[in-house]
Amino acid sequence: MYRIRFHGRGGQGMKTASCILGDAFFAEGFEVQDAPRYGAERRGAPIFAYVRADRAAINERGIIARPDLVVVADDTLVTVPAAAVLQGVGARTVLLICSNDDAATWTARLKRDCRVLTLPAPAAPEAGQAQAGVGALCAGAAAALVGVIGRAALERAVAAELAAHGAPVVARNTAQALAAYDALAAHQGLVSAGGAVDAGARAPVDWIDLAAEDAAAAAPDIHATATSLKAATGLWRVMRPVIDHAHCHKCSWICSTLCPDSAIAVDADHAPRIDYDHCKGCLVCVAVCPSHAIRAIPERGAAGAVP
Amino acid sequence: MNEHVIHRVRDLPSAHLLGAGTAMCAGCGGLGALHQVYDVLGEKTVFVNAAGCMTLLANYPFTPFKGSWLYTAMASAPAGAQGVRDALDVLLAQGRLPPAEDLAPVVLTGDGSAYGMGLSATSAAIERGLDFLYLCYDNEGYGNTGQQSSGATPHAARTATSAGGRGHPGFKKDLFAIWAAHAPAYVATVIGAEPLDLARKVETAIGLKGPRLILALAPCPTGWDFEPAALVDVGRLAVNTGIFPLKEYRDGRITHTRIPRPRLPVEAYLSTQGRFAHLFSPRRDDAAIAAIQAQVDRYWQGVA
Ligand SMILES: Cc1ncc(C[n+]2csc(CCOP(=O)(O)OP(=O)(O)O)c2C)c(N)n1
Ligand code: SF4
Ligand code: SF4
Ligand code: SF4
Ligand SMILES: [Mg+2]
Repeated sequence: MYRIRFHGRGGQGMKTASCILGDAFFAEGFEVQDAPRYGAERRGAPIFAYVRADRAAINERGIIARPDLVVVADDTLVTVPAAAVLQGVGARTVLLICSNDDAATWTARLKRDCRVLTLPAPAAPEAGQAQAGVGALCAGAAAALVGVIGRAALERAVAAELAAHGAPVVARNTAQALAAYDALAAHQGLVSAGGAVDAGARAPVDWIDLAAEDAAAAAPDIHATATSLKAATGLWRVMRPVIDHAHCHKCSWICSTLCPDSAIAVDADHAPRIDYDHCKGCLVCVAVCPSHAIRAIPERGAAGAVP
Repeated sequence: MNEHVIHRVRDLPSAHLLGAGTAMCAGCGGLGALHQVYDVLGEKTVFVNAAGCMTLLANYPFTPFKGSWLYTAMASAPAGAQGVRDALDVLLAQGRLPPAEDLAPVVLTGDGSAYGMGLSATSAAIERGLDFLYLCYDNEGYGNTGQQSSGATPHAARTATSAGGRGHPGFKKDLFAIWAAHAPAYVATVIGAEPLDLARKVETAIGLKGPRLILALAPCPTGWDFEPAALVDVGRLAVNTGIFPLKEYRDGRITHTRIPRPRLPVEAYLSTQGRFAHLFSPRRDDAAIAAIQAQVDRYWQGVA
């Protein structure tokens, strides 16, 4: 059975990637499962989708723990623990990363014995522009690497999955998918199908008996307030707003009131301060500042950004 | 007599109560409205939240609130608020809660609950004269489950359940009128893009007793298909095209707090959102756009 995981950020099209790849596998006579993981499916948030494909009926369910192939659409996710990109990546896993760093750099960086390949990273969006989807690209790359999907099946799968979005979208994504497929032609079949997992051979779970506790112990109240601050939503950011304090006329409320995420506080001297641990990079502040004192820069490479 | 503390934008709170780090989408109009409303309401609130996007706010053990939050089924948030109010009243009567520590129950739901599933419980709560505030963030669809159409979906909008060439065949229900018909203490429409108007209405609501509705139009980048950065633009256009009238109901009277002059053509608003894209391409649907414009014109003729 092929077990494939796509990792990306909400809005990059990982669910679409899994649908296209699933369709293409199906067209080649496979049984298929494809699904996004249920969770915070929010733009910019780490999300993943997965595909299982086998010639025989698939009885396995749930998240793929031992992937044969992992496709990473956004290399900034590799170091984000919540994204769990490297979960279950072993010696026979192929890891394909969309990145401007090459495979040797990533191999050295990750210190894993898996096979690493890279494709050029998608360009960061311009301020105010939509983040470009790379779902078709990721599906095309995966289709080439498994080596059992023909070019024609891939092309038909893109058209079938994206038909509702109109001909120009289908054409753009078909070109994207085929370009990735062709770019990886030299690695056709690099990914091999993993063996069956025998449910009976699974190590039994170490059950712990929990006594029926008093509600106060079993469902403890949280007495701390605003604990959401522990969640680092700053990791969702693709673009970073930066305040130019020389141009800010300290109106002291516009950006701070209109930031939907309460991520801009105002100092005692009326200067706004962005909380980069939580700012999600929506760029509402950039759009509303009347003195154009906030600009957007790509998060990738921004000072203090991950990696 | 002037009951407002907030007169100018300078009076708006600049320290924010709602914690960051929530799971709402970047550029969420509902969250934007909630954080502004919460700043005015203050900490002594208990949010009673029906299932919807905002359910993800308080994901144990995380919460952006400074106080309690209660989760209810989609149809039952006003009943939950009744329970909270009753419990507080019992504690107050028994002297187990000092009056200074009393809390205000605030129902927080999306339009799916407010316009549809929860309407019966809402009507009953108003009928009983329950002393509560209802905050509805109206993103005009079942956002949390992928933007299916709801009773609040505007005519012609594309949703997950109205994906054909003409979009949603139905028309948006008038929740303001439904509430006003119950003669409650207060009903107001607000939008995050107009913070001063919003803050003054929430202030007014706090000063009153009985059932009160704050209905916030909540532009939703995810469900309406626009860039998050355009949140405030989309909101201002909803007001300036007259599609979303800012108004309040009190003592049997409706007052418009903003009459857009000049009133922009509706397409200035419709064209900002992918959910209306089929009205403009591949061919412009003049008849459909004119019908939406005519409906808005009719409304404002009645306001005069
Ligand atoms: C009785 C019931 N039906 C369906 C659901 C599934 N459900 C969860 S959230 C949601 C959407 C709610 O829409 P709305 O109230 O507008 O809030 P939004 O998601 O837009 O924030 C639905 C249908 C549910 N929780 N309960
Ligand atoms: S909106 Fe602009 S001018 Fe006003 S405080 Fe923010 S950065 Fe400064
Ligand atoms: S980009 Fe600006 S408005 Fe958006 S979350 Fe960050 S600070 Fe707030
Ligand atoms: S789907 Fe819409 S309402 Fe829900 S969190 Fe996202 S932006 Fe907000
Ligand atoms: Mg809704």
